[in-house]
Amino acid sequence: MNSSIAAPVPVSIDALVLALQNVGYFADRRLATAVFLALKLQRPLLLEGEPGVGKTALAKALGEVLSRSLIRLQCYDGLEQREALYEWNYAAQLLHMRAAEGQGSADMAQVEREVYQDRFLIRRPLLQALQAPAPGAVLLIDEVDRADEPFEAFLLEYLGEYQVSIPEIGTVCATATPVTILTSNRTRDLHDAVKRRCLYHWLDYPERERELAIVRAQVPGASAALATQVADFVGRLRSQPFANAFQRAPGIAESVEWAKALVALDTIVVDPEVVSDTAGILFKQREDVAALTRDMAEQLLQPADVDA
Amino acid sequence: MSMPEGAAVAEGKTISSISQLGDARTGKLADNLSGFGRTLRRAGVRVDAARMALAQQAVMLVGLQRGDFCAALEAVLVSREQDRMVFRELFDAYFRNPNVAQKLLAQMLPSAESKAEPAKRRPRVSEALAPVRAARNAPPAREEDKIEFDAAMTASDLQRLRQADFNQLSASEYILVERLAREVPLPLPRYAARRTRPGVRGNRPHWPGAMHHAARNGGEVLHIPLLQRRRQPLPLLVLVDVSGSMERYARLLLAFLHAATAPRHTGTAVRRDVFAFGTGLTDLTPAFRLADTDAMLEAASHAIADFAGGTRMGDSLAQLRLAHARRLVGRRTLVLLISDGLDTGAPEVLAQELGWLRRHGGRLLWLNPLLRFEGYLPTARGATQLHRQAHGMLAVHNLGHLQDLAAGLASVLRQ
Repeated sequence: MNSSIAAPVPVSIDALVLALQNVGYFADRRLATAVFLALKLQRPLLLEGEPGVGKTALAKALGEVLSRSLIRLQCYDGLEQREALYEWNYAAQLLHMRAAEGQGSADMAQVEREVYQDRFLIRRPLLQALQAPAPGAVLLIDEVDRADEPFEAFLLEYLGEYQVSIPEIGTVCATATPVTILTSNRTRDLHDAVKRRCLYHWLDYPERERELAIVRAQVPGASAALATQVADFVGRLRSQPFANAFQRAPGIAESVEWAKALVALDTIVVDPEVVSDTAGILFKQREDVAALTRDMAEQLLQPADVDA
Repeated sequence: MSMPEGAAVAEGKTISSISQLGDARTGKLADNLSGFGRTLRRAGVRVDAARMALAQQAVMLVGLQRGDFCAALEAVLVSREQDRMVFRELFDAYFRNPNVAQKLLAQMLPSAESKAEPAKRRPRVSEALAPVRAARNAPPAREEDKIEFDAAMTASDLQRLRQADFNQLSASEYILVERLAREVPLPLPRYAARRTRPGVRGNRPHWPGAMHHAARNGGEVLHIPLLQRRRQPLPLLVLVDVSGSMERYARLLLAFLHAATAPRHTGTAVRRDVFAFGTGLTDLTPAFRLADTDAMLEAASHAIADFAGGTRMGDSLAQLRLAHARRLVGRRTLVLLISDGLDTGAPEVLAQELGWLRRHGGRLLWLNPLLRFEGYLPTARGATQLHRQAHGMLAVHNLGHLQDLAAGLASVLRQ
C-alpha cells in the first residue's frame, strides 16, 4: 500500500467521513470526530470495543485515506521491547568482527564502533514508524491489552514524546509523527498513564443503517433484500433479550462473512433452516451455535419482516 | 434553550461566529469547560489539567455544533468505557437542563437553597451535581446525603461496622458497607503455569537469552539465563445462592468478588465464572465482564429471574454439570460455593452433584454466612451434605471476615 504521494489530512469531520466511506469504512460521526482530533492534535487514539466491530479495519482504512503505509505491531503476552522497537543483528555483527580479525585489523575500538552502525540495526515496527519519511506512517498497535504491563510502561515514552533512546546511537525522534491507533479488547484494564496520552473512543456495534451500508459495500454480490435481512437479523441477535442467550454476539466481521456465505450458497431469502446451517459463521463457540435454536431463528426473522 | 450562564454551545454555531463575538465570549467557554471538568471529577471521571487544556484545543478544532462538541469532549476527557454514560448524562445536564443550571449557580451562592433533584440519574451523576456547599439549614432529605454523613465516621464506628453482620445493617449502613467491601483485597492463590518467562529461579535454560548474552560478549557463552514458570491465579468458579434467606449477603458478596478479582486488583486477568442459583441456574459471567461494579450489579439483578426465591441446589448443580461442565471445571479450579445450606431439593441429588463437583474441581470451599451464630452446626439437610463434601468452610458474614478470607483460602488450600 506504499504510495509515493501522500494524501492531505481531511480538513473537516465531514470530509473525513466521506474519505473513509470512499475506502469502504463507514464511520459514525462520533468516531470520525475522535479520529479527526487524533489527526489534528497528533495524539494516539485508543479504540476499545468488542471483537469484530472494526477497530483494526479503521487503521487500515486510515492508511488508505491518507495514502500512508500501515505499520502494524501485534501485541501478545510476553512481547518484548526488542521485538517491538529494534534489535541488533548479532549474527552479522559477529561475522563482521571475525572478518575484521581475519584481516588483521588491530584497532578493536574501531571495529566495535563499526558494528554499532545503522546497517546492523534491525528495525521493528515502532522504530520503523518513527523513521518513516514525511508525512509519516499509520502505526497500528493492535490488542495492546494482550501485552504485559512492563511493555505498557515502555510505550509511555514512545506515545508521549514520539522518541526512543538507543544507547549506542542516541535518541531517535520522529521524522513525522505517525498516526497512531491502539486497539484493545479489554481483556484487562490498561494503565491510566497510557490512557492519559491517548484520545479514547469506545466502538459499539453499529446501528442498523451503518451495518447495512457495510454489508452492501463489502459484499456487492448480495441483493438489497438479502443484505437488509442480514443486517436486521444480526442487529436483533445482539439486542435484548436475545443477547443474553449467547456468550459472544457476532461482530460486523461476522455479518460480512455470513453475507458472503449466503451469497456463495445462492440464498435468496434467509429462513430458519439456512440460519441453522450457517450458524457456525455467526458464532465461534459451540455453546452459542447450539443456543441458536430453530425457534429462536424463526422469532428473530419474523419481526424483521414486520419492520420492513 | 437554557443552559448555564454563558455556556456558548448552540446548535449550528460555528467557531468563526464565536470568535467574532470577541474574547469575552470565548473566555466564558473556557470557564464553562473548566466548570464541566470539575463536575466530571466529582463524578469520579479522572480529568486532569492537561486534559482540560487538550479539551480546549479540541473544541477549537471541531467547532461548537452540539454533537461534535460532545463527541470531541468525550474523546478527550473520557478514557474508560464505564465513564461514557456518566459523561453523556452530565454533558446533557450541564449544557442544557435548566434545573441543573440553577444548581450550578447555587454552588456559587452559599445561601441559595436547592430542591431535591427530580430527574432519575445514575447515582454518580446525582452526587456530582449535588451542590458542594449545601445550605446548612436545608433538611438532609436524600439518601445520598445520609451516606455522606455516615462516611464521616469515627474510628469506633468503623470498628463496629467491621464486625456488624450484613443482615443486621440499616439501609444506609448497608450501602456504606457494600462500598467498603469493594475495597477489600482478595489475593488469590497462584499456581505455576505452563508458560515460562526468564527468571532467576528457573530450571530450564533460556537459549535465545544465552545467544543474546553471547553476542554481547564476542560470541562467548559466559552465562546461561534460565526460564521459570509464570505464576497465575487459580481459575475461579463462584456459585452464589440468591434465595430469600441469602438475599442481602448475595448482593454484597457479588460486589466484593467482582471488585476483588478485577484485573486492576490482581494484576493479571483472572479466569472467573460466576453463577447464581435459586430455583434455577443463572450465568452471571457476562455481567462480571462489565468493568464497573454498579453496572455489574444492575446486569446481575436483571439477569436473575428467581432472586429471593427458594433454593434447589442439587438441580442447579446438575444444570451446571450438564450445560457448562467442560468449560468450567478443571483440575485447578477453585470452587467457591456461597450458601447458607438451607436447601429444599432432594438431598441425594445434592450429594451426587456435590460429589461430582468435588471430584472434578480443584478445591470446593463453602462460604457460609450462618457461621455468625456461635455453636452453629450444619444440621439442615443441605448443610449436612455441604459439610460432608466441601474441603473447607469459611465465614463471610461481616467485613472483618471478608478481610480474613484470603488467609482462610490459603490455609484450606494448604491442607
